[in-house]
Amino acid sequence: MEQSNTPVTALPAQAERLSWRERLSDPEFWINWTAVIALAVLVIIFGIASPAFLSFGNIRAVLVAAALLVILTVGQTFVILTGGIDLSLASTMTWAGVVLGQVVAHGGPIGLACLLAIIAGLLVGLINGLLVAWGRIPDFIATLGTLSAASGAALIFSNGEPVTIVSTFLLQLATGSLGPLPYFVLIALLVVLLGHFLLFYTRFGTHLLATGGDAEAARAMGIRTAGIKLAAYLLAGGLAGLAAILFTARIGAAEPAVDTSYLLNSVAAVVLGGVSLFGGRGTIAGPAAGALLLTVLVNGLTLLGLSQFYQPVVVGLAVVLAALLVRYWR
Amino acid sequence: MCRQSLMTRMSLILLAVLGVIITACGGASSSGSGSSGSTQVAAVIKGLDNPFFQAMQRGIQDEARTVGVSVTVQAATSITDTTGQADKLQALAGQNYGCYIVNPISGTNLVQALAPVSQAGKPIINIDNPISAQAAQAAGIKISTYIGTDNISAGHQAANEMAKLLPTGGKVALIGGIAGDVTSQQRLQGFSQGIPATIQIVQTVAADWDRQKALTAAGDILRAHPDLKGFFVANDDMALGVVRAIADAGKQGQVKVVSVDGIQDALKSIQAGQLSATVSQYPYTIGAMGVEACKAALAGKTLPAKVTAPVLVVTSDNVAQALASFPKPFSSYVDPFQDLLK
Repeated sequence: MEQSNTPVTALPAQAERLSWRERLSDPEFWINWTAVIALAVLVIIFGIASPAFLSFGNIRAVLVAAALLVILTVGQTFVILTGGIDLSLASTMTWAGVVLGQVVAHGGPIGLACLLAIIAGLLVGLINGLLVAWGRIPDFIATLGTLSAASGAALIFSNGEPVTIVSTFLLQLATGSLGPLPYFVLIALLVVLLGHFLLFYTRFGTHLLATGGDAEAARAMGIRTAGIKLAAYLLAGGLAGLAAILFTARIGAAEPAVDTSYLLNSVAAVVLGGVSLFGGRGTIAGPAAGALLLTVLVNGLTLLGLSQFYQPVVVGLAVVLAALLVRYWR
Repeated sequence: MCRQSLMTRMSLILLAVLGVIITACGGASSSGSGSSGSTQVAAVIKGLDNPFFQAMQRGIQDEARTVGVSVTVQAATSITDTTGQADKLQALAGQNYGCYIVNPISGTNLVQALAPVSQAGKPIINIDNPISAQAAQAAGIKISTYIGTDNISAGHQAANEMAKLLPTGGKVALIGGIAGDVTSQQRLQGFSQGIPATIQIVQTVAADWDRQKALTAAGDILRAHPDLKGFFVANDDMALGVVRAIADAGKQGQVKVVSVDGIQDALKSIQAGQLSATVSQYPYTIGAMGVEACKAALAGKTLPAKVTAPVLVVTSDNVAQALASFPKPFSSYVDPFQDLLK
């Protein structure tokens, strides 16, 4: 991926001034929208192949299933935009879930348990941020360390045993909805909107893109890059804590075993969303659409009755094809 | 401009290729969606990376063919794929299936995906791993029947076999699965209750259902207790590790190993004179009984709330017979659904 090192921040305000024709001929447009276009194509294919796919119930099921991954992906996007990567994301979610479970198991109120879950996530984010920004350890190594440490902490805290949580609040959260919008979808949507606002309409967002684009230049301009990196990891950690609450609500238990597929899928969604793995370029909507795409793919293949042995192959193909598209458009 | 349109064309071709792959794959294995609804059966089981659940899947598919219902089987990708399993069930729950067979990874992970199924009044057949009664009640789910192995009884039968193997008694060690796992606990509990007073349990360890960990733990125990006479192991996979540790210590034949599960490799190990005995479960039969239960429920029959799946003790005396009829049981068993289907 050859690219200029200047932070290209295609602000929506600037983009709107261009005509449609100009926008369509801009490679950046296609890169940002790869996931959305692929998603549309997939929806059409599955809609034709399986009559159940476009039913209200199934669309709802897909959106609920995607909510968790969307939230984690937004966190991952912020970190990757700074030029880093958060490998500890899935472990952090498990660890925060275990904290939630233990608080409930020891008789704590569910509200406090949820709050502590988010704080547990922020704590891992803080450690990641300090290691990377001030410890000057490469992101990959620092978060590899916390990946292992957080999963170990989850096992220690839970003594390796899952805690069943029967809470009407969590059950409501998992099955209830506001009008036609399930709470899960509502929360994910809010996270995406807030993430988009933070990235494109605040000074923090601009500084974040600048840090990821060229940390040297950003520092020279007086941006506190260490603080920006720390903030990105804190965001990812906090969102992992939020995801832990939804995860626990969905499966009705705090499980100490880490489901690593969430980590891999969050990175895959970011790639599908057209975010540069070197940082500095990207959107929030793209990766969110990428996360939705991955969920739609598995849902559609399940409806078609494709054996689960083939499903990962098709998912892998989709990710590589998307990366190829981005590569050739650049 | 020209470059862009070339790129656009290329991308469309790539997407089209992906589309063809997907539709082709889907078409190749069409076993579910489509034709008329309500007599179709959907099954969601644990990961097919384990031979136990592969046998279960075969049982479901073979029986469906025998009794003439169409079935779609979906499985989790691994033992940690709790939400993925729920997603798959939810995808199937939205379709017009008449009956659902579920083997949940945990007691609660499928509960909320099952809520709409139960609300629609469709029968839910719970096989192998039980759904938490408390969670099911909180979510308002009605389970039509539960079919599974009685693990305490399986542990008990293993204890009887150990008593036969060690007529003069002696020291034994217990190797369990993950600490706190209900299945493991029940098997160990059944064994501890079933052994005569002449047999003493000197140690109990958790080897996380892992063959390698069981091998290491068994080696350590053999060094700590040189006069050890036997091991009871909570599943066959770990037992094969224990057998290896005994061979490594040069004590083959002197230390007896009894386990639970009845996987093919364990039966072969018995035939080779390594493993002493296994209390064999029949996931194939559990799956098949699930389909029978669905068929009976769809015919409007009232199902028994709980059905115990058959277990049989396999030793060197009957291992040839057990291997010949694998994955089906080698002797007759009680099947209440057969009577309902008559």
